[in-house]
Amino acid sequence: MRIKVLIAIAAFSIASPSVWAHHSFAAEFDPTKPVKLKGTVTQMEWINPHSWIHMDVKNPDGTVTNWMIEGGSPNALLRRGFTKNSLPVGSEIVVEGYQAKDSSNRANGRDLTFADGTKLFLGSTGTGGPDDKPEK
Amino acid sequence: MNPRSPICRMLSAAAALFAFAPVSAFAQAVPAAAKVATATPARARTADGQPNLEGVWSTASVTPLERPKDLGAKEFFTKEEAEAYEKKTLAVHEVAAPGTYGDVHYSMAQFGLEKGQSQVAASIRTSLIVGPEGRIPPMIPEAQQRNAARAAANKGHEFDGPENRSLGEQCIMWPNEGPPIQPAGYNSNLQIVQGPGYVAILQEMIHDVRVIPTDGSPHLAANIRQWFGDSRGHWEGDTLVVDTTNFTGRTAFRGSSENLHVVERFTRQADDRILYQFTVEDPATWTKSWSGEMPMTKIDGPIFEYACHEGNYGMRNNLSGARAEEKAAQAAGK
Repeated sequence: MRIKVLIAIAAFSIASPSVWAHHSFAAEFDPTKPVKLKGTVTQMEWINPHSWIHMDVKNPDGTVTNWMIEGGSPNALLRRGFTKNSLPVGSEIVVEGYQAKDSSNRANGRDLTFADGTKLFLGSTGTGGPDDKPEK
Repeated sequence: MNPRSPICRMLSAAAALFAFAPVSAFAQAVPAAAKVATATPARARTADGQPNLEGVWSTASVTPLERPKDLGAKEFFTKEEAEAYEKKTLAVHEVAAPGTYGDVHYSMAQFGLEKGQSQVAASIRTSLIVGPEGRIPPMIPEAQQRNAARAAANKGHEFDGPENRSLGEQCIMWPNEGPPIQPAGYNSNLQIVQGPGYVAILQEMIHDVRVIPTDGSPHLAANIRQWFGDSRGHWEGDTLVVDTTNFTGRTAFRGSSENLHVVERFTRQADDRILYQFTVEDPATWTKSWSGEMPMTKIDGPIFEYACHEGNYGMRNNLSGARAEEKAAQAAGK
């Protein structure tokens, strides 16, 4: 309960301790439920306030579960040159994050990589930021 | 040469909202310069002769709204200090131990929301708030009580329903939108469009347009209250001055009452730079008025739509998470 109150205060000040986000992640996902999911992309929703990646994950018993992964605002990705085609259906990805508190098959995208280990959304240029690679 | 000073870096914490990092073009940094030089070059005119503020602008900044207390009355950095401050600020990266609440979020860097991934105008200011204090003045006792009562009323009910969540989570308004305009945590961009008798400001976060008449028309009747207040503009030389009243008490900018009164000044200082200044007053909240300023730097557009409730699964998930916790607590209590 005490934690919930603290979370609410953070939400009201619209600033969290380490991350700016549209809402309280701490109220949505459970830090005691870390997940590592390997599977294939079935859909990417380029929607605000947060993008969501849907993926099929094969369970040890052979069944398949569809998970939803929460990501950042798509606006910034668009500015970095990513498009709807950047993460095609069927892409094999690995997601590390934390599962939703209500135990549904949703998680945050704490770390997102392709099956070969490269980052999903890195390597773009053109934002003008000092971390950018040169455009030419 | 491209004088835009790229920077960016999502700040952390409370800083996220009101802090960012300036950058390279320190030589361009403009000191306090309130009522600044209004020497708008002849090029900067709209077809009907208004000073031209049009374009897409970044309001990102590494300068905090309030001056860190250890800086005392120091209002400006030297160029060297500003560079060191920038470097230090940019060195801040997400650090959170696995399994802690701080670690529970999407990857800021991978989604282009990290520091260093957007553009920020240079500034040598130590705080957006000007003057020797550099901080929001104290609240009067009545305002402290009003805000405490509001917080107390919601205590224990934070996740009862959407209406208990912050205005931002409800997609009603974000504090960066203003007035007064503040740097947003990310997508800190706005577009200004002018037409005869009007100036319109579109804020990317969170997709609101403030249409400001400049035709001399009076404010709305006092009984009409709006989330963003009622803005009326006029030109003082080449500076756009915008006067805003008629706020709702629920807007509560930094704990303000419905008597909040904001005066903003927009001055085009260069092709790529607007100086934005604001004064906030509310005798029902603060012991005195306070003022701040920040540069806006021109960026390539366009503004992207941020349809805040389009896929706001987060709201549902927050509430369902709270219900799950309540059930678990109930079960544990049996």
